[in-house]
Amino acid sequence: MKKLFTYTKGDWVIWIVVILLSLFSLLSVYSSTGTLAYRMQGGNTEYYLFKHSAIVFIGFLIIFGTHLIPYTYYSRIAQISLFIAAPMLFFTLIFGSHINEASRWITLPVINLTFQTSDFAKLALILFVARSLSKKQENIKDFKSAFLPIIAPVLLITLLILPANLSTAAVLFTTCMFIMFIGRVNVKYILLLMATGLICLSIFIGIAMVSNYNGRIGTWKARIENFIHPNPDDDSNYQADQAQIAIANGKLLGKGPGNSIQRNFLPHAYSDYIYAIVTEEYGLIGASTIVILYLILFYRTIRIIRKSPRAFATLVAVGCSFSLVFQAMINMAVAVHIFPVTGQPLPFISMGGTSIWFSSIGLGIILSVSRDLEIEQKLEPTPQLANA
Amino acid sequence: MGEEKTLDIKKDILWRVYLVHFGLCLFGLAIIVQVFRIQYIQGSYWHAKAETATKEMRNIEAKRGNIYSEDGSLMAISVPVYEVRMDVNAAALTNEVWNKNIDSLSLCLANLFNDKTKLQYLNELNHARKSGERYYAIKKGVKYDKIKELKDFPLFRMGRFKGGLIIPQTMERDKPCSQLAERTIGYPPANDRVAVGIEGSFDNDLKGVSGKRLEQKISGNLWKPVYDENVVEPRDGNDITTTIDINIQDVAERALKSNLEKNMAEYGCVVVMEVATGEVKAIANLKRNSKNEYDESLNYAISERTEPGSTFKLISMMAALDDGLIKLNDKVNTEHGYTVYFKDTMTDSHKEGFGIITAQDAFEVSSNVGVSKLITAAYGKNKQAFIDKIYSMKVNQNDSLQIKGAMPPDIKSTTDRRWSGISLPWMSIGYELRMTPLQTLTFYNAVANNGKMMKPYFVKEVKDKGKVVKSYSPTIISDSICSAATIKKARAMLEGVVERGTAKNLRDSSYKIAGKTGTAQRSMGKSGYKLNSKANYQASFCGYFPADNPKYSCIAVVYSPSTSVYYGASVAGPIFKEITDKIYSSKLEMHKEQQTNPIAQTDRVPLVSGGLQKDIETVCSNIGVNTLVHNNGFNWVQGNKQSNSVNLTEKHIAFGLIPNVVGMGMRDAVYILENAGLIVRVRGKGSVIKQSLEAGQSVSRGKEIVLDLS
Repeated sequence: MKKLFTYTKGDWVIWIVVILLSLFSLLSVYSSTGTLAYRMQGGNTEYYLFKHSAIVFIGFLIIFGTHLIPYTYYSRIAQISLFIAAPMLFFTLIFGSHINEASRWITLPVINLTFQTSDFAKLALILFVARSLSKKQENIKDFKSAFLPIIAPVLLITLLILPANLSTAAVLFTTCMFIMFIGRVNVKYILLLMATGLICLSIFIGIAMVSNYNGRIGTWKARIENFIHPNPDDDSNYQADQAQIAIANGKLLGKGPGNSIQRNFLPHAYSDYIYAIVTEEYGLIGASTIVILYLILFYRTIRIIRKSPRAFATLVAVGCSFSLVFQAMINMAVAVHIFPVTGQPLPFISMGGTSIWFSSIGLGIILSVSRDLEIEQKLEPTPQLANA
Repeated sequence: MGEEKTLDIKKDILWRVYLVHFGLCLFGLAIIVQVFRIQYIQGSYWHAKAETATKEMRNIEAKRGNIYSEDGSLMAISVPVYEVRMDVNAAALTNEVWNKNIDSLSLCLANLFNDKTKLQYLNELNHARKSGERYYAIKKGVKYDKIKELKDFPLFRMGRFKGGLIIPQTMERDKPCSQLAERTIGYPPANDRVAVGIEGSFDNDLKGVSGKRLEQKISGNLWKPVYDENVVEPRDGNDITTTIDINIQDVAERALKSNLEKNMAEYGCVVVMEVATGEVKAIANLKRNSKNEYDESLNYAISERTEPGSTFKLISMMAALDDGLIKLNDKVNTEHGYTVYFKDTMTDSHKEGFGIITAQDAFEVSSNVGVSKLITAAYGKNKQAFIDKIYSMKVNQNDSLQIKGAMPPDIKSTTDRRWSGISLPWMSIGYELRMTPLQTLTFYNAVANNGKMMKPYFVKEVKDKGKVVKSYSPTIISDSICSAATIKKARAMLEGVVERGTAKNLRDSSYKIAGKTGTAQRSMGKSGYKLNSKANYQASFCGYFPADNPKYSCIAVVYSPSTSVYYGASVAGPIFKEITDKIYSSKLEMHKEQQTNPIAQTDRVPLVSGGLQKDIETVCSNIGVNTLVHNNGFNWVQGNKQSNSVNLTEKHIAFGLIPNVVGMGMRDAVYILENAGLIVRVRGKGSVIKQSLEAGQSVSRGKEIVLDLS
């Protein structure tokens, strides 16, 4: 045990943030999987608790493992991962198994593990963008030598994700734009691209609105229509209503752990809408705590990189951190109904194995940067470079 | 890269990071503010909404399993019936949509149900819409075929949310074979009624596990499902295969009915058992109801204990024979048809008596005096020995049956309070003890089965979607109820009853029957054996056939025949005979004397039409027919029958063209056509004789093709 502590390095506040989020996760998932347990496991409610605990535990092992690897390795890993991710996405699009009519999942042979390829691609792309940005800092404002080579893979990956998972593609694209902004890419180009992206999206949504196709596009269409013109009697607006009832039930202090009522009525209470259940059980206090924990995570990342002399360290840490926090914000925004329904899980809290594990890798990388800097400072106490 | 520059870059990056962090903080703040808004500003709205939207997880009944006869005929099945309801104020039903379609919808409904005019429907629907109905009942108890048509009607074809069509489903238990074995099949449990029969005893297998679904309360006690999906899918009940042979059951029931009618009897029952296994092949119970018709209301065969009368003489005689106390040719004096035990007179039905006859004769002519004298002589000194012997022959066995409600036999011991000095002679001829018809049959079946007593059973298999999950095999109660010699003597006596004795009327030239008649006066509770100075009788016949190699045993019991004919041989015997005649004529394996017909041998090669080459070769090789293939590796082939082989030629399935599937089996044809992208509808059974789209046309995906099968 003692040995484990000596090996555990990196920013201790971040460790505590993750531990707190995981505790919220275990409690809320156990509380909200009751219906699912009846549906799939014949009423064995502990099934999902054990399964989720195991996933969270493995998540910690992953964080621990990834944080031990010197962050500089991730530059190379980023490159290789991207080459794997692109064909994998393509393969998933064509052969993936359908859950809720979207082909997002593939089952890895041999280990027989189903996972959402976009989770992997997301991480690979963020690492890759951080790497490219840091390599091109010299002439970062240039269009041809800097902007194009970075934006090309971003577009490729997001377009591959888009048909099966519009919201993930949009969130990932936006995340990349922010990282590029932080990485000093010419704002002019970013805005131009955002504008193009928005126009394309509008056209796409426009087509969806007039088309009668009822597959995935039908789902998007319904969700967007519902957000813009909520129809109080329509059953398909049900999810959002139930989530808001859950939030309203919570009041200041919440109903207390395990006392959610809405978990019985809220579909996917354990994933997309877990924030509503957290609010119902822990109130405004609990809801604010979650938001603040994520903001602390981002703040601590800034603390780490302030000391960093290297652009890659800065960008990879900020990139991973931003991706996690931004996704969290989107998920919570959906639950409180300031965003239309998307299928983004709440990092470290929603149930779902691979999502938690990929989040864990991202966090491990942040901690790896933190750990390496700690070691560096101990070895050569050079004067700090920038003390902003 | 200069240090200066690095510093600049770093500064540049840092302010951007801070800016992003500021943005995220704002985002977070917005979320917290929104939570606050929902809780405190819109709070009352959401609480009110939570109150009104009474949604509940409600059970969905699982489909109850079917009950089949042994050969797979349906004996009980749950069929769905639907209610047609309409949310006439569905959000998508704007005035424009409504007015445009309601006229034609009314017309369609009027044509489909033929119960109201179009105008009536139109008025009622419009009225319902005006009064704000959300769950308007159009029609109840609608069968599936109509629902299928109905789904194509204007408005309805737009589905639940847009068109407002709601079709809640309930299950109804249907017995396709109507009355056959009705009471043994039984009824599932319901609110107002206790479950009986197989439905009751196997309820746990049949009922399945109910599912759950979220439903919303609409008005009164009506609930409508919120989603089309169920939260927990119901698990359908298992199917049950009974031992009942539908043909034997049919003839048994008809024979019983016609004889009950002929004799104006009150009630009666018949059970047919397979000798080797104890499988109950038929069980019928009929009672005259208030309308003077016969129907099944109680399972007399397994639950009604009565004094069996003369059929019990077999047991008494076998006890004494097996104990070596009498021999078949022992002489007994039947006097002049009556004898006195203490003050009680016992009479024979043959009023003059038979004089001095052998023991076997006494049995065959069913002399009460003869049999009781023999038994009293044998066991008079040790009466308990008689009871012990009967018990050891498992007559008193009380193994529980698969169907609940059976009564154990009531055969008292000498220590019993009810035992008296005249108990032994009376018991020896089947009085002062009570047994159900099935218990008597079980014993006779053991005699037919060379002493091996089989437990009667009704249910063979429990199946889950065709897969056997539980199977019941024959159960042996006793490997040998007595010595083989005794069995041999018993069977000789039983054959004698039909050859020479009381059941001569059942003699038949083509097969031999063995059995025993029984005519018992019925004790009517307190009033004794005579009620209103009129004797009540129970006529029975129990036996088996063919006598030399028994396959089936059978008991027929008719209670209280009111006409003057009440003897077992003339009332119950014909029922037995009618059943055995029918079984004999339909079961070819019993006609062992006849030669097998050699004509069937000439045409060995079956007609082989098209199909998968591999499949056809497997079938042919299994039945020993050669196949000639011109070129291996075909997928689909066309078969041509030759004198002693089958020629297989390739059937070319061109991509993009409609294939010719005429002559193929349904499965192959549907497989090929669906692979080609067509939607297939089939009519009839057998192989394809006609296809609605001509072969060779180019395929347009999703087009429907109709196949006529023969």
